[in-house]
Order: sequence, then C-alpha cells, then structure tokens
Amino acid sequence: MKNQITAIIKKDIRGITSNHRMFVTLLAVPIVLTVVVPTMFILIVRFAPSESADFQKLIAMLPMASQEEVSSESIVRLVLNYMLPIFFMLIPIMAASVMAACSFVGEKEKRTLETLLYCPLSLKQIFRAKVLAAFLLSMFVSAISFVVMLIVLEAETCLFTGFFILPDAKWLLVLLLVAPAISLIAITLIVKASAKAQSVEDAQQGAVFLIFPIIMLLVGQFTGVLLINAWVLLALGIVCAFLAILLLKQSMSHFKYETLLK
Amino acid sequence: MNAVTMNFLSKIYTGGKKAVDSVSLSLSQGEVFGFLGPNGAGKTTTVKLLNGMLSPTEGNVSVFGINPSENPEKVHALSGVVTEHAQMYDNLTGIQNLVFYGSVFGLSKNDSEKRGVKLLEQLELGDAKDRKLAAYSTGMRQRLSLARALMHQPQILFLDEPTSGLDPESAQNVNSMIRRLAVENGITVFLCTHQLRYAQEVCTRYGLMAEGRLLAEGTLDALRNRICSGMTVKLKAKNLPEGLCRQTGEFTFELPLQSEEEIPQLVRRITDAGGQIYHISAELPSLEDIYFTLTENFKSRETGKEVSI
Repeated sequence: MKNQITAIIKKDIRGITSNHRMFVTLLAVPIVLTVVVPTMFILIVRFAPSESADFQKLIAMLPMASQEEVSSESIVRLVLNYMLPIFFMLIPIMAASVMAACSFVGEKEKRTLETLLYCPLSLKQIFRAKVLAAFLLSMFVSAISFVVMLIVLEAETCLFTGFFILPDAKWLLVLLLVAPAISLIAITLIVKASAKAQSVEDAQQGAVFLIFPIIMLLVGQFTGVLLINAWVLLALGIVCAFLAILLLKQSMSHFKYETLLK
Repeated sequence: MNAVTMNFLSKIYTGGKKAVDSVSLSLSQGEVFGFLGPNGAGKTTTVKLLNGMLSPTEGNVSVFGINPSENPEKVHALSGVVTEHAQMYDNLTGIQNLVFYGSVFGLSKNDSEKRGVKLLEQLELGDAKDRKLAAYSTGMRQRLSLARALMHQPQILFLDEPTSGLDPESAQNVNSMIRRLAVENGITVFLCTHQLRYAQEVCTRYGLMAEGRLLAEGTLDALRNRICSGMTVKLKAKNLPEGLCRQTGEFTFELPLQSEEEIPQLVRRITDAGGQIYHISAELPSLEDIYFTLTENFKSRETGKEVSI
C-alpha cells in the first residue's frame, strides 16, 4: 500500500518539476523573499545614516530597544530571528498552493481522475497521497530557501559587519514543527476544496479567498509568539500539528466517487 | 461463482434521468459478453455501477461476489477498465504511464517495466514507448489504455467502446487480443459497444440495451431463435417463376425461408419451371438484424403504451 501511495506522490511531484518554467517560478518567489528582503535590511543597516530621526524612530519600535543598546548586530539578529521565520511559515503554503489546488480538479480536467479512481486505493488514500505530494514539495522549497537564505545572509553580515550571526533555537521549531503543521493544514484544506471544485481556477480562487485569510490569521498570531517564548511556540506548534493530523484523517470521509466525478 | 451478477439494477441520476432500468444479468467466468446499444442506452452507467463509481438507486450488483458499492477497491484490484473518460498523463511517455499504473496496482517498478514493454509490443506500440503521450494519436491512446487495463493481469475487463478511433487493422488486432485473453487466460470481458458487427466477431454472448432497459440477452443462436428466426436466401438466376422471389437487381433475387431444409425444394421448383440458377446462398440474421427488430418492437410497444395512456 505504501508503494502505491508513493507512486502517486512521485507522479504528482514530477508533474510540477517536469514543467521547468513553473518550477523555477515556484523556487524564485521564496528565494527573492528570503534573500532580497533581508539583503535590503542589511544594506539599510550598513549604509543608512543611523543618526536620522526616522531611523531612530524605527529602532525605538523594535522589541529589544528598551533592553539593550541597539547595534547593527542586534538589528541583523532581529531580522534573522524575528522577521524571517514568519516568511518560512508562508513560503511552504505559497509553494504548495498551486499544486494542491490542481490536485483533484486538475486530474478531472485532464480526464485522468477516473483512471486514478479505478486503482485499488480508497479515496482517503488517494487524498492523503495528494496532500503528501504537495506537502513534500512545500518542505523541499522551504528547505532550499532556508539554505540559500542562510548562505547569503551569513556572507553579507560577515562582509559588512565582520561577524557571523547564527539562527537561534526558535528557527528549529519554526522549520521543523510550526511551518510544516501550518502548511499541512492549508494544503489539506486546499486539496479538499480541489476535490469539490469544478475547475482549476475555482480551486485556486478558493485557496486565495478562503484558505489564505485563515492562514494569515494563524501566522499573525505566531508573530507575537515569536517575541515571547520558545516554549509557547512549541506548544502552539504541537496544537497545530495535532489539528493538521486530525483534519487529514477526517477529510474525505463523506466523499464518494460520484461526487468527485460530477 | 459468477463473474458478474446484476439483480434488478437501476440508476436514476439527480435530475430524474433513469439511465439503467431494472437490469438483471449474470456473466460466467471467461465469457466475452457484448453489452450492446446506441449512445445513451445505459452502457457506460452500467460499467460505472459495476466498478463502484456510481451507487445503484435500486437493485444490487456483484463482481466475483464483491459488492462494488461497499468495497470498490477490491473490485478495482480484480478489474481493468477502458472507457473514453479514463485517460492517461500527457506529460509522461507511454512506458512511464504504464509503469505508474503498474505501481499503483502494487507491481514493483521492475515488473511494471517488463510487463509494460511486453504489452506495448503486443499492441504495436513498441516504437512509441518513449514518446510522450501528448504525441500519441487517438488510436494509439486507445491501445495504450488497453495495455494499462491489462497491466495488473485482471480477472475481468470492462471495455467501453475499445475500438472507437482505431483503424481497421488495429481494431482487428485488438479483437484478436481480446479473444485470446478470454480463451487462453480465462479473463471475463464485459464489452460495451454500438458497433454491432465488431461485437459479433468477438463476443460469445450478448445483451441488447435501449433506453436503459435490457431488451434481450443470450448467444447469437438463442437470439436468432427467439427474435429473428429464419434466413434470407439470395439467388443469382434467370427466368424465375413470377412472384416467387423479390428482385433486388437485374439477375439477383432474395426470399425469406424458415430453415435450410426448404432450400432443395426451392431449387427444384425453380428448375422445374425452366429457371436457371447461377448462385445461391443462405444468410442467417446478423446481430444488427436482431437489434433492429428488437428496437422496432420496443418502440412500437412504447408508442402503444403512450397512446393507451
């Protein structure tokens, strides 16, 4: 059974990666987000006149402003440890949303869904394979973005400030627990919407209008948590992971072949 | 155990269209059953009911004793399905498609590849195996679908118009493959088509459908006896006695007879009257003749009903 599900996952991922232009776009957006944006910050920190009133106002708004003397190092650390993790909660969802939205309705439009349904797998198993395929792709894009971001960011900070700034422990929590859990929730919802949709456009619009606001809200809450405590982050991550698994298990229990082929 | 059993099977779609109307039928293992009828007769809906893609509104159905509505996956493991709506992936090559479907049916990659290559050769697609499906013609796609349905060595094949879009040579090749599968491998074939001549070449038993109803079923001989008994005798002759036969050409004639026993008597009668016979042949009613007789009877019954209402 595992091999059968793996076959569907591989086929779905191949469907995205074989379309080189689409795959490059898929990788380009997150990399721009995680390389260009922090680079701009570092350049501002390096070259902006720190005495200017605007810059001082901006510094005053930062969370550690009251606790310590603000230095270039602390601003870079702030960008790395408080701002960028938020991007990594959104990147996997952005990367997987197109694939997830196409998962069922895309097959329906290409008239391959019926063929897939004739295989000896239950609807739940096919659904899970589709969710996992999009999830693995999202994690892959996320991992690549993280590595590229880290290399560029460390090189830049070393060049401009002469020291390395390492990511703190919260990164581990974000990358390995919170981001995967949130993206699993989003992907499950998008794939479910794809099963109900009548066209790929329908499913994509559904993802944009219904799923993203929910996810933004969730991510927004985590922005605050990042400033508080790693333990709270861990607890919320566990809750999200639990929710994601529950959602994945419950989805498709009321679906029938007839509904899908309509 | 029967390969397929249907008891008073009916399907009414949302909107009220009765696609299948109280059909009862059973198929033995190794049979090539022709499920015949025009477009909209309920053939494809029946295939979907047999595979659990649709749930019956009334009645029940089983495939090798398994209820497809309750355990569709188990039925799918035993069956191979070719329908117009079940296509494959354009971005994959012929062999990649077969390997994928082989894997989904639980075959290892190696076994899928071996079996895929063998089937592609048998269906004359060996040269196109590494070509993307997007470059396949309709006929090639149709043959690849048959290869896909055979990947996991199913016990029953559901073929919905398997030769549509095929050139005569490919159609003949597919026909002989279907026959071979039934005879040599004991695979049961449920073949839906509106091409009656093609069905007569392949099938061992027939079910004739119209507007969701099963009008008749049986072997060709049984159907002939029941619906269209007798035969048509065709003659090429000169100086026939007046009014004996219907003239169809300058020297060609035909007349209906009940049995072959009457032919010597007919010949004697013509020659005694001074007629000359150059050629004589007897034609039994074809499946088409039987089908048209049946549908005409059905239509006149339905019209009668409407009039009486």
